[in-house]
Amino acid sequence: MTALPVLDPLLHQPVRTQIAAYLAGRGEATFAEMKRTLGVTDGNLDAHLTKLLDAGYLECRKETSTAGRPQTVFFLAPMGRKAFATYVANLSALLPTKADAQSSLASPDPIPNPTH
Amino acid sequence: MRSHVEQIQSIQAMLAAGHRCVELERHSLLLWGLVGGGLCAFTDLAINPDRFPDNTQRAIALFLWLAVWLGGMSWLDHRLTRQARQAREETLPFAQAQITRAWWMLLALGTLSTFAMFFHGGGDMIYALWTVLLGLGIFFFGLFSRPLIEWIGLAAILLGIAGLASGLSMNGARWLTASSFAIGLPFAGWLSARTDDSHAGRRILAVALWLAVVITPALAATRLVPTASVPTPTTATLNLPAGTILPLHIDMNSTLVTISPESSVPVRVTRNTEIALTDGQPDGRYRFDQGSWHAIKDGVLYLRIDRIRPKLDAGKPEIRMHGDFAFKGE
Repeated sequence: MTALPVLDPLLHQPVRTQIAAYLAGRGEATFAEMKRTLGVTDGNLDAHLTKLLDAGYLECRKETSTAGRPQTVFFLAPMGRKAFATYVANLSALLPTKADAQSSLASPDPIPNPTH
Repeated sequence: MRSHVEQIQSIQAMLAAGHRCVELERHSLLLWGLVGGGLCAFTDLAINPDRFPDNTQRAIALFLWLAVWLGGMSWLDHRLTRQARQAREETLPFAQAQITRAWWMLLALGTLSTFAMFFHGGGDMIYALWTVLLGLGIFFFGLFSRPLIEWIGLAAILLGIAGLASGLSMNGARWLTASSFAIGLPFAGWLSARTDDSHAGRRILAVALWLAVVITPALAATRLVPTASVPTPTTATLNLPAGTILPLHIDMNSTLVTISPESSVPVRVTRNTEIALTDGQPDGRYRFDQGSWHAIKDGVLYLRIDRIRPKLDAGKPEIRMHGDFAFKGE
């Protein structure tokens, strides 16, 4: 019997997964861009970014605009990129395959769902 | 298990949002639309054989004209885009920066091709080329933006090719390119912002609407805007009925052969032709069969020599040349 893959607890949270996925696709983004794309509050996004930064999954750099206003640009650190790839691979391994889906159709779940 | 599926779907959605993060700014669409459309509509007024009679001079003038307008607009657009992004506390995505460079390369290719056509021919497809280049630019942006933009880019490419393949007149092609820039670009942005393009059916409808909005004004302008000023009733004209024989003098630059300036080839006019006279001389305006007036500089007279063949006729060597001389103003 093979052991089930373990999911990274830091990334196994919807907002943090979305942050990692968005940065993996886009390369880098500011706080304002992530807030608009993810549709979360400032406080919520800040809390999750802090956790990812503390874990070394994210890095950031300060940029000064021509208007003189500083802005922080976030991007995935190499460790974060590797952790995200592992997380997606492990998550995919937990998904039912076609064969699983067919066998579950052939033999209904013997344990009745208490909510039904 | 269901949460894992939702999590994967959420990851896919965010990865797609990250990959397709390019957004064309409103000012970019308006600026490029105005400049592209304006250049198509008014370049002939600034750079024409009256101002620059020499072919090389005219080629250089047009090259500089296009380089100044397009180069200046590239710089202005880049600067305004950076300012807009910084004002919104956003970065310019890597993909957008790269595609902007590809767009500049397309503009440079168009400018150099326009210049080269003065020396190597192919000038009758200049507007089709610019429409295709515009379509390529839109398509490249669409690859990293929304699928609808991609489709509009493809539609613009096909529009340019279809115009050329259907034998659209030079004037028609000019208005089609002007409309693709001036109306097509801002309208593509407007459509993209207001269309849910997740269904192919809606995308097809949106592209069809885009084509209709671009083609209709171009066709109207082709019919309504005269290509040459209509002679006043007092202007003298010369009628050449069909069947009139005219001498065709050929003035050819060549290091291989010379042609006597006095020699001519008799040609027979096959359509009733009327030419306008100014100070007793033809001024370049003409019309066929009482149709609309045109001018030589409109570029709707098309001459192509496509075959040169040496032959022996009764033992005497001769050169035979085949060419197409056609009117593309209808």
